[in-house]
Amino acid sequence: MDRVVELEIPARPEFVGIVRMAVGALAGIRPGLAYERIDDLRIVVSEACTSAIEVLERQGILRLRCLDGPKTLEVRIEAPAAAFESAFPAGPSEVPEHDADSFRISLIRALVDDAELRSSAGGATELCLVLHRDAAAADDGADDDQTIGQG
Amino acid sequence: MDLGLDVKERNGWAVLSVQGEVDVYTAPQFREQLIELVDQGQRSILVDLEGVEFLDSTGLGVLVGGLKRVRSHDGDLALVCTQRRILKVLEITGLTKVFTIHDSVDAAVSGNGRA
Repeated sequence: MDRVVELEIPARPEFVGIVRMAVGALAGIRPGLAYERIDDLRIVVSEACTSAIEVLERQGILRLRCLDGPKTLEVRIEAPAAAFESAFPAGPSEVPEHDADSFRISLIRALVDDAELRSSAGGATELCLVLHRDAAAADDGADDDQTIGQG
Repeated sequence: MDLGLDVKERNGWAVLSVQGEVDVYTAPQFREQLIELVDQGQRSILVDLEGVEFLDSTGLGVLVGGLKRVRSHDGDLALVCTQRRILKVLEITGLTKVFTIHDSVDAAVSGNGRA
């Protein structure tokens, strides 16, 4: 069963570190994600939040929904569609060389197992970032859940 | 979240040691420090990343901006980095081919030890 953790932060730079800390801590609760993979997720979440904050012009609220399941950890970040356009261009992508946008695209694409854009209510877009847990360790985690559930 | 920035002079290099997390919040301080060094006339800048706990695209943009700025004055900016997680970010973004990366400050300022 997925455990859901929802975060809302002011769309301001000083709060991105809090999201990284929360997502990193959540990722380590169940087995199946090595420290290096958790670090990868922290980077990608930071990139996505930074994109969203820039598009929101540092105003409003940024919403994240984390679904912590036995086989996957998924982080959904809701923002106006423009926030993620550079990472998921509609047409053929010409990646600019050596600027923060091009680095962001490279990191998002390289560091998570799946990254997908979905439409959500009110014209917003959700960027869904997925990490798959190591199968053997994930099974152990599922057993732990059952034990807890039966207790 | 604080960013530690410390500048020392070593064998003609300005060694900028960075401590903490470099992201959208702290990157402006880092950028200002690099601009200040170039404006002061420093032409050989070594950025020591050994104390960096987190580095994202914003920080990479600062490093590339610093490199462009110092090169426009015929200078150079090199890095010190042995941390696997930071090197991974530099490799994914192709920056290991752009920056000279040294194993230590001593190796860099003595002219040896390119990683």
